[in-house]
Parts: sequence; structure tokens; C-alpha cells
Amino acid sequence: MLRPRLLSGVLARWTGGADRLQSSRNFGVSNFLLKKADDSEQEEQKQVVAKSIFDMKEKNKNSYIDMVRKYNERNVLKRGHVEFIYAAMKHMDEFGVSKDLEVYKALIGIFPKGKMIPRNLFQEAFQHYPKHQQCATDILEKMEQNGVIPDMEVEVMLTNVFGKTGHPVRKFMRMYYWMPKFNNLSPWPLPKPVPDDPFELAKLALQRITSVDLLTKINTFDSKDLEDSLDKTWILSAQSPLQKEILGRLPSDQPLYVEGAFKIWLRSECVQYFVLRGKPKPYQPRPTMDEIDDVSNLKSPYIDEEAAEKTLEPLRTVHEQAEGTIIAIAATGTSSKDSLLSWIRFLQKTNPPLDRIPVLFSMTSPFGQVVPVNDSAGNQGQRLSD
Amino acid sequence: MAETLKLCQVLLRRRLLKLGYSSSCQAFHTSARNQVYDPNPKGGFRKEGDLNFPSRTEMIRDGLKQLKGEIMLWKEEVKEKLAMDPLMVARKGEVDVQWQFNNPEVLAKFQLNSDRDQNHGYSTCELKMSPSGKGLFTGFIDTRCPKDGIISTTGYCSMRTYRARKSFKRDSYLNWSMYNTLVMRVRGDGRSYQLNIANAGYFDITWNDVFNFILYTRGGPYWQLAKIPFSKFFYVSKGRVQDKQRPINLELVSNFGITATDSSSGEFNLEIDYIGLEFDPAHQETFAYEKYKHSNFIVGN
Repeated sequence: MLRPRLLSGVLARWTGGADRLQSSRNFGVSNFLLKKADDSEQEEQKQVVAKSIFDMKEKNKNSYIDMVRKYNERNVLKRGHVEFIYAAMKHMDEFGVSKDLEVYKALIGIFPKGKMIPRNLFQEAFQHYPKHQQCATDILEKMEQNGVIPDMEVEVMLTNVFGKTGHPVRKFMRMYYWMPKFNNLSPWPLPKPVPDDPFELAKLALQRITSVDLLTKINTFDSKDLEDSLDKTWILSAQSPLQKEILGRLPSDQPLYVEGAFKIWLRSECVQYFVLRGKPKPYQPRPTMDEIDDVSNLKSPYIDEEAAEKTLEPLRTVHEQAEGTIIAIAATGTSSKDSLLSWIRFLQKTNPPLDRIPVLFSMTSPFGQVVPVNDSAGNQGQRLSD
Repeated sequence: MAETLKLCQVLLRRRLLKLGYSSSCQAFHTSARNQVYDPNPKGGFRKEGDLNFPSRTEMIRDGLKQLKGEIMLWKEEVKEKLAMDPLMVARKGEVDVQWQFNNPEVLAKFQLNSDRDQNHGYSTCELKMSPSGKGLFTGFIDTRCPKDGIISTTGYCSMRTYRARKSFKRDSYLNWSMYNTLVMRVRGDGRSYQLNIANAGYFDITWNDVFNFILYTRGGPYWQLAKIPFSKFFYVSKGRVQDKQRPINLELVSNFGITATDSSSGEFNLEIDYIGLEFDPAHQETFAYEKYKHSNFIVGN
């Protein structure tokens, strides 16, 4: 008789706060009461407050699996396991375990084995234990959303719980068939998960962007090496020999523009990069139909050199786009104007033509939307070098 | 049983089609959908009461204004039919451009849709001309769910062509049977976009037939030429990859669309130069996925 009184006492305290009552729905209805962690206040108010079991200081995979294990140990009869699983799934992102297969297996392992397998045709036809099957399907759905491919052990676990005609096993079959097909479709594969470090991310981004030209070299500079730089940061610069050649042929009176920052997404991470762009190479005017049909003044390109120049045009390289000629691409640690200045200084060492060609900053770009660069005291169109 | 159905409907129906696995985000959904009959082609996403029809006399007047244009269209159709010389073969290596994004008129051929329109989320999108004179599909994908107790995942924006039409506003199809590859010249931002080719038929079970594939963008200032053969497109209905797969019927293409959807909230930018079709004789594959028979009562159920 002790239990009902305890529960009613707890509920009475809960009715004061509506949100408290709300949270009570989220976790198991078992009598899982915890004392308040703050010992100093305990002497004044001897309150027994049921706090959420997901409220812990260290939120990582070990504490999550530990919590699941505690539930299994304290709840042999698995009361309210569906509610517990839903609550656990809600808090998965907080603990940072959404992409971990072992954690999903731990959740599936909570279900009782053997009890929910259908024993006759009617049970098989009518989704035996629908709430539990739906819960298991939701676990698999969350796995799918996070891109976690299940393995054969998951199938065995689900078969032991719901039988091989259950909906979770069917969903597993579909996942096991389709997910590996989509896993490696991208022509630019990325590591799973993508690195956290901005430097590594920027390197991956530049490799991806410059994969059009396989001879591109990505160099790392550090603005510490320059005496007059304000921002001390790493600078990644990507340039290919072809771009150096194109730069050598550019006239000195046309300035180059440093444009940026543009964004590139690598899975869910974003990297900002900058482009050193020259004026676009003009297209040679195409002869009109009348000119083609006019045979009165035919000139042979084999004999007449002038005619050859007019009719032939060297093939454009991939860097000579309609919006501009791309000379180099960079990403810096701070994405500030000063770091870009340092980048240009470094580029000047490897590209002598940059000494004679002026380089300007540009706030707009024909390549697309620009994220404004943060700068302490910069003006638009500031001249960087002469 | 009814409660189960409702639970399934509520939880499954609002799931949205997401992208493949090489981006960090979501997958195509592989659960079976309960086949509950839905008489509305919009699937409950738009109720008749939402439309504001003008008065009857106004409608008659508007209709009569359109009559001339429709008769001109019909005349062309009759001429085509009597000429009886349809194009049957596409030349190798030539790209027949369907939508060239070089002037704002092309943008009017696409309808934009985002989860905000159905009160499913807060994403926004727009289709405009880019600074370099090409089409730009841009916006913001927001994965925050509205707190209505029904939506569990959200965050999508899409651009889709209007239904192909004949004269007198009759629904028609685009015939792409001459070609075997979809060609797109795009400049993306590194995100993956989903390509949808709808094969909406006459019967209600085919209203939501869509064939999907993913357009992976490199990102960066360089243009990208993406060639995707039609044999790679897989069969999807209402956001769920179907168990019984079949190749796309290129004679009955009703709409073409691009969806931007990702698990990461943020801006997206897809610059499109053109969308075209090509016949590549070197590509012999008819269908990339298995069509073998499945066991009864498991598949599609």
C-alpha cells in the first residue's frame, strides 16, 4: 500500500506546474524518483523531485548507453518501454549519438523478445502489437534520417522481437536494400563524418572545388610569416600551372578582383572561400549567315595567316569562364580582408605577373551571392597592390 | 484498427522526401504507406475552400478572352497531326534544351513550393535571374518543425514545371522517349538536390508517381555539366521509395521538378543554365535497379 500513496503525493506536487506534468508523460511511468542533486537546499525543503533521467551533466555515448542499461536493470518487466524509447529518441541529438549504430541497437534491445511474435494468421495480418511495431519503425526511421545503415544483427534483433513478417523487419529490408545503393553516389565523396576542424574542412572544400583541374596544387601559408599582417591565421591557396600560365598572358591594365566570401556546403558544414578573378575573355564574334554564304572574298586559313586568326579560336580552358577568368581560389581561417591581403602577398611570390597587375577587392560578384567580409577599417574597392 | 491507421497516417504521411546518403542528411523513406484512398489529387494539401474563384460572369468573360489563343494552339495541333512526321530519333551528342534560363520569361514556367506554404515549416525560396544572367533557385531551408504535434521532420523547397498542356487547357504529357539522358548545366553550392520527374497518370493510384534521382553539385565558381541517364531514376510515390520498381515511362512525363531539402538548416543556391535532353547511344542500361518478383504480402504492404 506504500506505493500508491507515494505516487499520489508526487502527483500532488506536480499539479502546481503544468510543464512538469507535461514532462512526466515523456519518461517511464515506473516509480523512478530521484533526489535533488543540490544537497544544500535539501535540509530546508525535503522535496523529492522527479527530474528527467536525461538531465545529466555529461552527455555522451557512454552515459546514454548507461542510462538505457539502468532502465533495463531496474525494469525487468519493461513497464512503459515504448514511452521510454520515444523519450530516449528525443534526447539523442543532445547526447550526440544520432549517427551511432550501437546506440540504436541498444534501443531496439529494450523490447521484450519472443512475446510479440504473431502466432497465427490473424495476428500476422493485423499488425500484432501495433504501438510497439510503430515504435520500432520510428527507431528505424530515425536511423534512416541520420544516414545510419543497419546491419544483419539489427535484423536478427527485430525478428526475435516482432517476427519476420513484422513491419519493422520489412522496413529493415527496405533500408538494407536501398541505403547502400545511395551511400556512395556522390562523385565527390566526403568522409563520414566530415571533420570538425575548419582547416581540414577548408582543405576538403578546395579539393572539391578545384577537382575540375587535376593538376591543381593546394598550398598552405601562414600569415605569421608576413611581418605587416594583422590577422595571424592559416591560408589555403589553390592554383594550377594552367592558371599561372593564363595569368602570365593577362594585360597589366586590367585589374584582378578578389571576390568573396562564397559558401560551399560539405554535408552539414559550411566553408567560406574566395576567388581571384580576372576579366572574362571576350568571345570572338561569330560570322553571320550572310558572311558564311558570301563566297566572293574567300580566304584560306592555310595560306592567309590573318584569316586563320579570324576563323580559329584557341579552345577555352576550364578556368576561362563567361563571368571571369579564375586565377586562384583560397580559404582563410578568419575570412577577413587582412588575411586576403596576406594571401595576395604569398601569391606574388609564386606568381611574378601579380607584381605588375593591380588587385582590387570587390563586394559584388558575377559568380553569385557574396557574404560580406568582415573588416576593421576597410573601404570598398580598396587597392591592395600596385 | 482505426486508431492504428490514423496513427500511421499521421506519422507517415507527413514525412518528406529527403536526399541520399552521401550528404550528411536524410534518406529516401522506405516504409510502406498505408494505401488509403485519397480522391483529391493534391492529397489534402490544398482544400477547395482555399481557392478564391471570381464571379461566374467574370469567369465566362475571362474564358472568352482565352478562346482565341486556344483556337490558335488547336490549329497548330491539327496541322502537326495531319503532317504526321513526328521526330522519332534524336541525334547522338546533341542536347535538346527544354528550359534555357536566359530570360525572365522562362522563370514563369516554374511553380515554387516550400513547406511554409502548407504550414509545415519555415523555409522560403525564390526563383530569379542570377548576376550572371542565368536562372537562380535560391532560398533558406529551415528544419525547425512547427509545434502542431503532427510534423516530425521538415525543411524543403521545390521548383516544378506546370503540367504540360494541350489546347483548351487539356492535360497532356511531355514525350521524352527519343532521349535517354537528362543534361543539366548548373552551378551549385555543394548541396545535393533532388530531381523529380512526375509520371502522373489518369488513375488515382498513379497521381503521385514520381521518379527521383539526386543531383550532386560540386560547389565553387566552375560550371558543372550533370548528365543523368533515365535508367538511374527510381520509382517513388508520395515520398516513399516503392518496393516494386519499374523504369520511367518517358512518353508520359507530366512535370519536372527540383527539390532542395537537407538536414542542415541554411541557405541554398542553385544556378541553372539549362535543362536539356540527350540521346547517348553508348548508354545501354534500361534500368539500374532489380525488378525481380518479391514474396507476396510483403512488398508494397
